[in-house]
Amino acid sequence: MRIYEVFLKADGKEEFRHAGSIEAPTDELALVLARENYARRAEGTRMWVVDRKNICVSEEGFIDANLNKSHRHNDGERVAKWRKSQRNKKSDD
Amino acid sequence: MKRSWASLEEFEKFLDHGGIVEPVDDMPREYRQAVFDFIEMHANSELMGGLTERDWIPKAPGLRHKMSVIAKTQDEIGHAHLLYMIAADLKIKTREEMMQDLFAGKSKFHNVFHYRAKTWGDQVAIAFLVDAAALVSQQAVFKNCSYGPYKRILRRIIAEEGFHLRFGEESVLRIAEGTEVQRSMFQESINDWWWPALQLFGPDSKPNDLLLRWYIKSERNEILRDRWIQKFVPLLQGYGFTIPDSGLRRNKEKDRWEIGPIDWEPLKQTMVMGGPDSARRISEASDSWKKTGWVREALEKVSA
Ligand SMILES: [Fe+2]
Ligand SMILES: [Fe+2]
Repeated sequence: MRIYEVFLKADGKEEFRHAGSIEAPTDELALVLARENYARRAEGTRMWVVDRKNICVSEEGFIDANLNKSHRHNDGERVAKWRKSQRNKKSDD
Repeated sequence: MKRSWASLEEFEKFLDHGGIVEPVDDMPREYRQAVFDFIEMHANSELMGGLTERDWIPKAPGLRHKMSVIAKTQDEIGHAHLLYMIAADLKIKTREEMMQDLFAGKSKFHNVFHYRAKTWGDQVAIAFLVDAAALVSQQAVFKNCSYGPYKRILRRIIAEEGFHLRFGEESVLRIAEGTEVQRSMFQESINDWWWPALQLFGPDSKPNDLLLRWYIKSERNEILRDRWIQKFVPLLQGYGFTIPDSGLRRNKEKDRWEIGPIDWEPLKQTMVMGGPDSARRISEASDSWKKTGWVREALEKVSA
């Protein structure tokens, strides 16, 4: 028996979401069992099942926030400051 | 993405900040065991509940009820299935070991499944009172649960328990609008099931309850029990039924229902498999496991 991870996607813009796991002997039966266990009430319109052993898992910290790459997070501070100064100028007039 | 904590204190600090534990994490042994025990008992209870439900498929009054009971059976067995999956991922026992322990009377399941459902009225009382009690406690666990897979699976389970509760409510309404015979049958069921359902929440939580400290539970037993009482006393009375508690009274100042003393002896008996129907239920479950063995064998053959 293999363990499969089950992913469901609701219609529209939602992404695939992990629903849970299921034990099954083959891919085909995994799809059937996943449907019976996770999709009895229109929980999604599309389904993926993936044999757990085929999932590549990143190391701890591999995708942690890059705090030294602040240029990826433009905070809009400079423009905000300028706008504020413009507003102040107007109210001074 | 394996995380670890230098000490139990560090781990508890992580939990206090809303940390969610995942199965790959190097969680403290005591926490792993506590989460496992809790989920295993939940899984066992879903299975035992599903099996009683199944017994009522041929006996349910009318096709509409029958179809609802079939759906409910599938839900409960499904809940057991999903819970056994996440329990097994904790690597304390395999699914097979959990089944064997259940059939050997070595692991626990909810007190209510140690009693026999004799009539359709009992079955409705279960759907009404017991599913609601289970829902109240599952919602409280879900709210703050620190173990990720359990929290996520509970979301699904709770949604489906909602359908069971509605089915229970509708069935009660049908009985309440029924004949005198039906009403008195249901009154008897309330008399039999009121206390077991109320005891499902367990005795008052101890101040140092580790399940609370580790956010496996998020509310004290007595608070959940009281929430259920405040809801079900007026509901049943509204349908013209009585509650089998001579100590029950309305506290007008506090605007609350207060119940008489609880006899915890029956609950203790169920915890050691000494309930009125424990032995029969366990052997029924074991028989059904054997009878369905051919399915597992067939699946094994396909996988080989
Ligand atoms: Fe359930
Ligand atoms: Fe249920």
